[in-house]
Amino acid sequence: MTATELFQSVLASLPEIVVVTGACVLLIVGQLVPKGREHFLVWASVAVVLIAALLTLMLAGEVRPAYTGMFIADRFAVFFKFVFYLATVLTFLLSRKYADIEGIGSSEYYVLLLFALSGMMILASATDLLSIYVGLELMVLCTYVLTGFLRGERRSNEAALKYVILGAASTGIFLYGVSLVYGLTGTTQLDAMAAAVSGDPLDPGLLLAVVFIVAGLVFKVGAVPFHMWVPDVYEGAPTTITAFMSVGPKAAGFAVILRVFLNPLVAASDVWVIVAVIAVVTMALGSFVALVQDNFKRVLAYSSIAHAGFAILGVVAGGQDGIASVMFYLLIYAFMNLGIFGTVIMMRNGDFSGEVIEDYAGFAKSYPGLAFLMLLFLFSLAGIPPTAGFFAKFYVLVALVEQGFVMLAVIAVLLSAVAAYFYIRIVMVIYMREPERTFEPALTPLVRATLAFTAAGTIGIGLFPAWFLGLAQRSVFGG
Amino acid sequence: MTVPLLSLIVFVPVAGAALLMFLRNDDAVRWTALGFTVLDFALSIAMLAGFDTTTHEMQFTERRPWVPALGITYALGVDGISALFVFLTALLGWICVLASWVAIDRKVKEFMISLLAMQALMLGVFCALDLFLFYVFWEAMLIPMYLIIGVWGGDGRVYAAFKFFLYTLAGSLLFLVGVIVLYFQGGETFDILALTAKDLPFQVQSWLFFAFLIAFAVKVPMVPVHTWLPDAHVQAPTAGSIILAGVLLKMGAYGFLRFSLPMLPEASVYYSTLMLALSALAIVYGGFLALAQDDLKKLVAYSSISHMGFVTMGIFALNLRGLEGGILQMFNHGVTTGALFLFVGLIYERTHTRSIADYGGLMKVAPVYTAFLALFTLSSMALPGTNSFVGELLVLSGGFAANLAVGTAAVLGALLGAAYLLGMYRKVALGPVSVRAQFKIRDVNGREITAILPLAVFVLWVGLYPKPFLDVMDASVKHLLTQVHDRESGQ
Repeated sequence: MTATELFQSVLASLPEIVVVTGACVLLIVGQLVPKGREHFLVWASVAVVLIAALLTLMLAGEVRPAYTGMFIADRFAVFFKFVFYLATVLTFLLSRKYADIEGIGSSEYYVLLLFALSGMMILASATDLLSIYVGLELMVLCTYVLTGFLRGERRSNEAALKYVILGAASTGIFLYGVSLVYGLTGTTQLDAMAAAVSGDPLDPGLLLAVVFIVAGLVFKVGAVPFHMWVPDVYEGAPTTITAFMSVGPKAAGFAVILRVFLNPLVAASDVWVIVAVIAVVTMALGSFVALVQDNFKRVLAYSSIAHAGFAILGVVAGGQDGIASVMFYLLIYAFMNLGIFGTVIMMRNGDFSGEVIEDYAGFAKSYPGLAFLMLLFLFSLAGIPPTAGFFAKFYVLVALVEQGFVMLAVIAVLLSAVAAYFYIRIVMVIYMREPERTFEPALTPLVRATLAFTAAGTIGIGLFPAWFLGLAQRSVFGG
Repeated sequence: MTVPLLSLIVFVPVAGAALLMFLRNDDAVRWTALGFTVLDFALSIAMLAGFDTTTHEMQFTERRPWVPALGITYALGVDGISALFVFLTALLGWICVLASWVAIDRKVKEFMISLLAMQALMLGVFCALDLFLFYVFWEAMLIPMYLIIGVWGGDGRVYAAFKFFLYTLAGSLLFLVGVIVLYFQGGETFDILALTAKDLPFQVQSWLFFAFLIAFAVKVPMVPVHTWLPDAHVQAPTAGSIILAGVLLKMGAYGFLRFSLPMLPEASVYYSTLMLALSALAIVYGGFLALAQDDLKKLVAYSSISHMGFVTMGIFALNLRGLEGGILQMFNHGVTTGALFLFVGLIYERTHTRSIADYGGLMKVAPVYTAFLALFTLSSMALPGTNSFVGELLVLSGGFAANLAVGTAAVLGALLGAAYLLGMYRKVALGPVSVRAQFKIRDVNGREITAILPLAVFVLWVGLYPKPFLDVMDASVKHLLTQVHDRESGQ
């Protein structure tokens, strides 16, 4: 590697370097911040992310391969990085008050989020199974710790432990698949892999390797049959972290899945059949199990499983539109899901947990504006126009039908009709019950800003999807 | 630059809803809602006044790119078929506001916002010339309607709202897949007129026909997917029932007219016997169910199923008289059944019972009310001189021409209609004054008469001089028929 190449590589990965450096600095500075001045950390962290975002934007002009084929800064990565920035910044904003209430507002909290962000960014840019592994571990190790951040609470500890054990097992499976690939092809680079195989792409050894890699990746997005951790972790983790995980790391998982699955080698191995089955079962399980949940966070956990299933359908469809549809879906999902989580986080105040759906009875009477926002987010999650959630689903369906998967599209819409039930059930509780209590939502200006921003995204992309759609279509790699 | 009249018609209610958000006083809310709906009505009259009845072409068209990457445009326009329903929707809009004046006494602002949103979306459905735009309007209606039934409805409102929501959603999602399939089959466009001009293979037409049928049949509703209707009607507030009966049910039939017939002509002809049979089933079955009801609202709801059977029968008779009769019946049903629901609502506000058994001798207590009720009851049973007579006669003659057995069944249904409607009227209005009715029922006041009067005018106008109404649709219906039959026989 010559000096020029090194310089180019550093340049390409400058946003990642900024985030990691910023996190390290904040880790030290955080120890010096006097008690009661922690809000400084929020703003410093937001500033770090914004600088990274600015750099990403400045570097977005051209495709920059880096680190001898391990890493690439292309439009695809840029798109995902912006989804991550969005998720992270909004999580910071939502965390400010919540962290005070829960007593978790130490500097480590923000630093870990930044490290998780850097892991996700590496994932979006990784073009080698090993750099994927590095990014993956960086990301999940941070989320393990963040899940257990409510140290005094049993649920949180249990969730973290479960997450670590299952996560470690899935990482092991992933690594095993990587080693098989290396044994068979002599490389771990995604592009070189396809070229290295001269024989039958359906070689049983290769198929096994692919299945292992699929299993490892599917775990991260919480698809069946590797979904078991999702409800417990989502319920146990601090709600801000749940919000973050449901959007950021999930999108990162999809970024990798798209890069790996649409690799010519994997695409040739008929793995899409497995993926299609995974998608359908994931949607079905998420939708049906959510019907019987009473806990808001668990409903959202199963809802996120169902949404992951729907997005995987875009992977099944493949092609330009398939990839673009997944990316578009994740962008919209980030808005609507952070929005609904924002309302749940806001409800956590005093001794009111805001986690039981029944607790929201009659909320519309006391806070019509906030209730309307919840209605907006819930209908968007259910995929009812004119919200953005509808257009996300619509585009995935278009991609499916374009590739001739009409039956899959039919199954998908029927399952989303099932899923609609539990979203409108929450709307029912909010609007059609009499209030049994007084509500005191923790409505800080930051929370207000977050809700306004996510609501604007949810309705704005729904009404004017053209620009965002074009963005996703232009960001498809290889296109 | 011309005035985008249709956009104005669609978005005036939205502007009204936006304005309502800033109002605090309930009376101000009511008057503002009334003002905007009346304005919308005036615009719809302006539209009809400028409507050219000699052509089947779309008029007042507007076209702007919306999502160019997927060939989606914001395209509006009306022809002879949709113009009538734009007018009907705008008419019922302000009547609904009047009907909710005192009936809705809590969360008035939210109710009026939902009502106006609903009106905008319904108008959008009738004006849309882009399939995607149509679907967005069509599906978005679920949100305000769910709230109208679920928040302001009767005791069983939550169940009814869920049932309504899920039934319609499941139906229209399959429609969505059909729309996307059509998009690719028709050359990647959502333009309704362009899609209409495409000849699709019969196999594709068949699949799409059933995908569309599920969505439209749920909305009409046709037997056997009608079971959401009685629940929704009984639980909905009066304005909700008027919207449901007056406009929402028409959308299913409108879907047949706008999509199934012109886009899938061969399948429509091939399956027309099936559709006629289902229509006849709805007419007779709905009639028998109505005969057995004690609840006034349920009776009218089941009679709706029966009457909508006439509409679908007229449409799938696939001849001029049938189609014109069917479309006229859609309009008539909106007026007459809308009025009947209004009447049930008026009396329920006073007595808080809908059971027929609780009433009797209303004529002596509230003579004006019963006089109007008589008019609409007779109209509903299609007495000559009223609007439904013209419609049903055309439908029946079209139906007999298409299929003798189905026509005969429909006549039986019409007889049943006379039985349950006259029975209802006798029990409610005639005979000795019942104990319950003696609780000083006040007769209709000025506001209520204002709401009733225009409907009564249309009952008689269409009944005695239907020509203007038939003229509006004539060119479009003839064009539709050539689209169906020429292409079908051309194969």
